[in-house]
Amino acid sequence: MSLLVNNAVIYANLLTLLAISLTITYITTSVPNFAQGSFAVFASYFAYLTYTIFNFPTPYFSIPFSIMFGALIGVSTYLLVLKPLIQKEASILILMIATLSWDLILLGLIGIFSESMSKMIMADASKFNFISLDFKLAGIKGILISSTLAVVFSLAFLFFLLYRTKFGVAMRASMENPSLAEIMGVNVETTRLFSWLLSGAFSGLAGALLPFLQETFQTTGQMIIVSIFAASIVGGLSTIYGAILGGYLVGLSESLVTFWLSKIFGMSVLVYTKAVSLTILILTLLFIPKGLTSVNWRRYIWRWKR
Amino acid sequence: MALETLISSILLWFGIYSIIALSLNIEYGYGGIPNFGKALAVLIGAFTAGAIVNRILISAFSIKGDTITQASGFMKSVVDEVIAANPAFGIGLLLFSLALAGLVGAAIGGLFILPSAKLESDYLAITLLAIAEIMFMIAYNNTALVGGYYGAPVPDVLAFVSGSVREWVFVGLILFFALITYLFLERALNSPYGRLLRAMREDAVALQFSGKDIMWVRIKTLAFSSAVASMAGVLYSYYAGNVIGIVNLFARVNWTFYPFLMVLLGGISNNRGVLAGVMSFVVIWRLLDGYKHEIASLLNLPFDVNWLQYIIFGVLMIVILYYRPEGLIKEKPIETEPLKDLRSKRSEKA
Repeated sequence: MSLLVNNAVIYANLLTLLAISLTITYITTSVPNFAQGSFAVFASYFAYLTYTIFNFPTPYFSIPFSIMFGALIGVSTYLLVLKPLIQKEASILILMIATLSWDLILLGLIGIFSESMSKMIMADASKFNFISLDFKLAGIKGILISSTLAVVFSLAFLFFLLYRTKFGVAMRASMENPSLAEIMGVNVETTRLFSWLLSGAFSGLAGALLPFLQETFQTTGQMIIVSIFAASIVGGLSTIYGAILGGYLVGLSESLVTFWLSKIFGMSVLVYTKAVSLTILILTLLFIPKGLTSVNWRRYIWRWKR
Repeated sequence: MALETLISSILLWFGIYSIIALSLNIEYGYGGIPNFGKALAVLIGAFTAGAIVNRILISAFSIKGDTITQASGFMKSVVDEVIAANPAFGIGLLLFSLALAGLVGAAIGGLFILPSAKLESDYLAITLLAIAEIMFMIAYNNTALVGGYYGAPVPDVLAFVSGSVREWVFVGLILFFALITYLFLERALNSPYGRLLRAMREDAVALQFSGKDIMWVRIKTLAFSSAVASMAGVLYSYYAGNVIGIVNLFARVNWTFYPFLMVLLGGISNNRGVLAGVMSFVVIWRLLDGYKHEIASLLNLPFDVNWLQYIIFGVLMIVILYYRPEGLIKEKPIETEPLKDLRSKRSEKA
């Protein structure tokens, strides 16, 4: 039971990081990035590579490398794929298809990367995990501590950046209203590029930690993307608070609800983990399409008090 | 690879993908509905053949088996013999499965868009992708439904045709169905319905003001196009003799991304353009697939060429979006009767 809760919290932490990544770029570029899952998985493979070639004592040392690698993917996504299309005034639909194509390109690159790596390290690199390489602190899994710290530090960094620096003000301005911000002298191009860098970096961080939780293979990104979308949409897709809320809600319920259902209906239910996030997604869209953060909670509390 | 197999596989995939791409063109090209879950409709086809028709046949011939995969295997050997002796049974089975897939496809297609029918295009796309993706996950992991990762054999509806001829007869059959689909859609979309869809794509709000219910139009469109695409799923399942080719987790690439690429390559809301797009895609794809070992050894690649294929198609898509968003053949205005009259009057004057 404790193991279950542990894993649920770790998964929720990682999902929150990924949902934040998705939300940051959605706010600035207004494109849902269908390649977000592959960002993270590519970074996982990169973490594995740096771990093996530098012979680190633990894969945790790879984290800075995969953050940088993730940032690089984020920046190249914007510069190579989206910026040229945005300049041609392509519709959102076209931009979405472009990120879908980019996802396919990344999938191909991940495949090539992993197979070439297998040849290089003389071992099968198509599937791997770091579970046995994790440390334990006072009986607590290392990944539980590190993933929680990762979320805390990422959020602290993000809020410091957005609310305590001048660049953050510019960024928030261009998130709110890009054309007005441009008139006021904000370089929207730079803030957009920076948001893709941040998004890639957070995905890279999540990707470096993911193999500590579960087996990672080439198509993991294609499966995790549904949960990322569910988390972001539950929160409202366009606020960072929402991404945090949605990340934990979807992440925790995906593991815990499935476990609870498996107690009633038997182990065969465990196949349907992702159906839980789908159900949450659909219910949100049906009843509160703008997400949890759009609900005026104060009104309800006030009514309840009376 | 023998030239003959190459040609037959090009024609086969041209037929299958024509049906799927034409049906995607109804949603995306005409209606502007970004159905990133196109694969679901094809899965319904496989599901109709493997899970519904198979179960009907299993109970009709009272066959015993522990799992659906095993029972389907026993059933296939019995039914194949019946078909070999009685061709009408095979053709009837195929037609029955197609009709059933059309019905199930329409029902599920309509339900599929229900949670998201009122939403903006980005939310709509995400939801459709998510639903399709999870249905695949369930179909693949749950072995009781349609065999899951074991697959379920389906009867050979052409068991009366011997050996090497079967391939060509099947290709002809698929091309025939593709032709019917093309002719049917060409008529259906050059009607007020087609113009309604284009109006919805261009300006949904304006259409709402003229009293049309956008949600209802979307539901009907998804039901209609899913019915068409699920028939392609049935045809492919019967061709391959097993549903496993469709019920695998990699389906998003094969049954959603590739059709999008074909529609955009050919030209949206233009059925002839779509056919041109399908043909160009299928030729490149089959050549790459057919000569992948030669390519790998020639370039001394240390990896599977399939990965390279993904990159090539991804890049191709982005290049099309950037340089030729209108596709190979541009969208043409609809030839309505008054327009034709006007044209003929003008030519008379001149």
